[in-house]
Amino acid sequence: MNAILQEQQGGKRRSQLGKSDRRAGYLMLFPALLIIGAITIFPILYSMYMSFNHVTLTENGFQLQFNAGKNYDILIHSSVYWHSVEFTVMYAVVTVVVELVLGLLIALAVNNVQRLKNLSLVVMLIPWALITVISAQMWDYIYNGVYGILNYLLQSMHLIQSPVTWLGTSTSAIIAMMVADIWKTTPFVVIILLGGLQMIPEEYYEAAYMDGANRWQSFWKVTLPLLRGSIALAGLFRILQAFGVFDLPFVLTGGGPGDATQSLAILGYEILFQNLQFGRGSAIAVSTVLLVLFVCLVFLSAFRSLVKGEDA
Amino acid sequence: MKKLQKSAAMAVAMLSVGGLIAGCGTNQATTPTPTTTSSSQTHTINFANASGTIVWAAPPITHTGLRNALIAAFEKKYPKIKVQLQSQSNNTDTNRASLSTAIGGGSSTPDVYMGDVIWPAQFAHAQLALPLNTVLPASFWSRFSKGLVQGATYKGNVYAAPFFADSGFLYYRKDLLEKAHLPVPTTWAQLKQEAQELQKKGLVQYGFVWQGASYEGLTCDFQEYLADAGGSVLNAQGQPTIDSPQALKALDFMRSLITSGVSPTAEDTFQESESMNVFDQGKAAFLRNWTYAWANSQNPSDSQVVGKVGVTVLPSFNGGAGYSTIGGWDLYVNPHSKNLPADLAFINWMTGKQAQTILAVQFTELPTNAAVASSPEVQNVSPVFKLVNKMHFISRPDQTPNYPQISQALYTNVNAALSGTISPKKALKNAQQQMQQAVGSGGGL
Repeated sequence: MNAILQEQQGGKRRSQLGKSDRRAGYLMLFPALLIIGAITIFPILYSMYMSFNHVTLTENGFQLQFNAGKNYDILIHSSVYWHSVEFTVMYAVVTVVVELVLGLLIALAVNNVQRLKNLSLVVMLIPWALITVISAQMWDYIYNGVYGILNYLLQSMHLIQSPVTWLGTSTSAIIAMMVADIWKTTPFVVIILLGGLQMIPEEYYEAAYMDGANRWQSFWKVTLPLLRGSIALAGLFRILQAFGVFDLPFVLTGGGPGDATQSLAILGYEILFQNLQFGRGSAIAVSTVLLVLFVCLVFLSAFRSLVKGEDA
Repeated sequence: MKKLQKSAAMAVAMLSVGGLIAGCGTNQATTPTPTTTSSSQTHTINFANASGTIVWAAPPITHTGLRNALIAAFEKKYPKIKVQLQSQSNNTDTNRASLSTAIGGGSSTPDVYMGDVIWPAQFAHAQLALPLNTVLPASFWSRFSKGLVQGATYKGNVYAAPFFADSGFLYYRKDLLEKAHLPVPTTWAQLKQEAQELQKKGLVQYGFVWQGASYEGLTCDFQEYLADAGGSVLNAQGQPTIDSPQALKALDFMRSLITSGVSPTAEDTFQESESMNVFDQGKAAFLRNWTYAWANSQNPSDSQVVGKVGVTVLPSFNGGAGYSTIGGWDLYVNPHSKNLPADLAFINWMTGKQAQTILAVQFTELPTNAAVASSPEVQNVSPVFKLVNKMHFISRPDQTPNYPQISQALYTNVNAALSGTISPKKALKNAQQQMQQAVGSGGGL
């Protein structure tokens, strides 16, 4: 059993390219790298630079005036900023965990379906393929406090007496937003995990069966360890996206009620494009990137030790 | 097959991360284009022979073809100029974001844009608007109704031409009040009580709908109660005065509209269109809204209450006309515009008699051109126009470039109090604190 696992992991062999081949490879990569550098690395560095300046918009573009860490100082002392950090972290943790668990369950189920596999995949992909702004508008109609379908259904089932304003109180607005997010992005997790599941050769399960493992044991000893790469991948992508959540709160709540659903991206947008405080807005963007990096590292190391523990 | 699926999943994953990284680069790295305008001196531009194509950015205003009607009439008068319409978001904040990004990035279009009356200070400060007094003769400004040009002025320069004015009105269901033998309310308490009576009799589902969502519109609504209660957002020195007993009276009353069931619980998610929909579907007895709500309520394809609606000035706490927030839209010129003469010809015509009459007669918007506003032909178009002389106006504290922060501090906290998340007292305390940060040296968050 273990031997099989080791063989599978050792299967990744370094390709043996000659030096000149490698140089040609780099040369061919160069144009793409240049474009990526121009459209991603430069703006990121420029944002960092801006975050250490007092930026004024003038007729001739941005005017920068170095002000050391003043933008960050203001952030650290702002309750509005900390509130949106709290909200964003909480939102990301809850949605990513739920999506991973739910996604894994669905992927396992779909993997065992023989006849309607493709159809169920297509159906599941619809939420994910829809543009978020449009699906968010749809959820807005569902949650609407006056003519929303959710209230109608709950009322006709006599579960509630009078219409509930789902997006009008902080707790329910946060939950409503999470539901919309989970509905939309769980299929993404499913697709990634399903890819991982299909990479696991059937023989391993046969071997496990021969060794007398029941289904539960073969899930823990075969499926999960071999799936950890896919889970880590899906988790990372979801964390990155959840920390940048913008379109959902923008359409559904506008950050309200009050600032209950004001994510870091919404706050950054307001500071940058409503208040035109570019230095401060850049500081929010940079601090968000650092936060996401930190959370990703924590996730990876926690995940590694967790799965290792199961593996042993 | 398996391999294909895996690579598809990878491709999809790469795409999404690419989008994320692109999205992360919030700041544009555009190189600004040098401009040809000098803002301090005055050199009037003759636009009589202007020609070429200009782009006009404007939100859909009334949804009834106003923009294209105006463009068609203008092009007929000035055949050498073509105007391209660039449609903007109806949400004033989204509109501002897209304009400030484009113009701040150095774009030469739109040439002329329709912008909120609260933008002059902020846009002047960020140099997103051309000071029009430097390129238009002094005589140009005499056409406008009193006070409007002052509203578009920042530090001695006029940054926009008033296009149409707007203000808050009370719309009510004549038929329901008659049925219940109730008078048109003149105080807030009376409005609340009559609304409850109509609801109790089962004549209507909701009493009063207005704008309570977390956005600029809530600042407008709140300010009407606030001014009426004798309070203010900022004092004459520009310092926040929102944590006051007057403000508490205003906010307590607004919250009580929701807790008493006069306003729906969804009130704290309502913008203009949501509240107007509820009213036009016949589900509310009273509506606070802007001028255009009259035309909408009388349009049979949108409204089920055609002919059943009356309009009057907003009530007050002590009787008599309450305060109405001044809103409306101005025409601004992009400082990077490459065809200033055509821009000015367009603005000159849009604020002139023909365009302003089209605005008022065909689309019931309040004209800014004084001669048009007072003409009997226009006065008879809408009952709204006849109220203007009876109204008390209050403008927002928008003479500071920090106005967006002031307003955000106000509407997020007031909205939180309306939703019941925090008490009105706490909301005003928070607002006061955030405003102090905004007007302080740091500029706040």
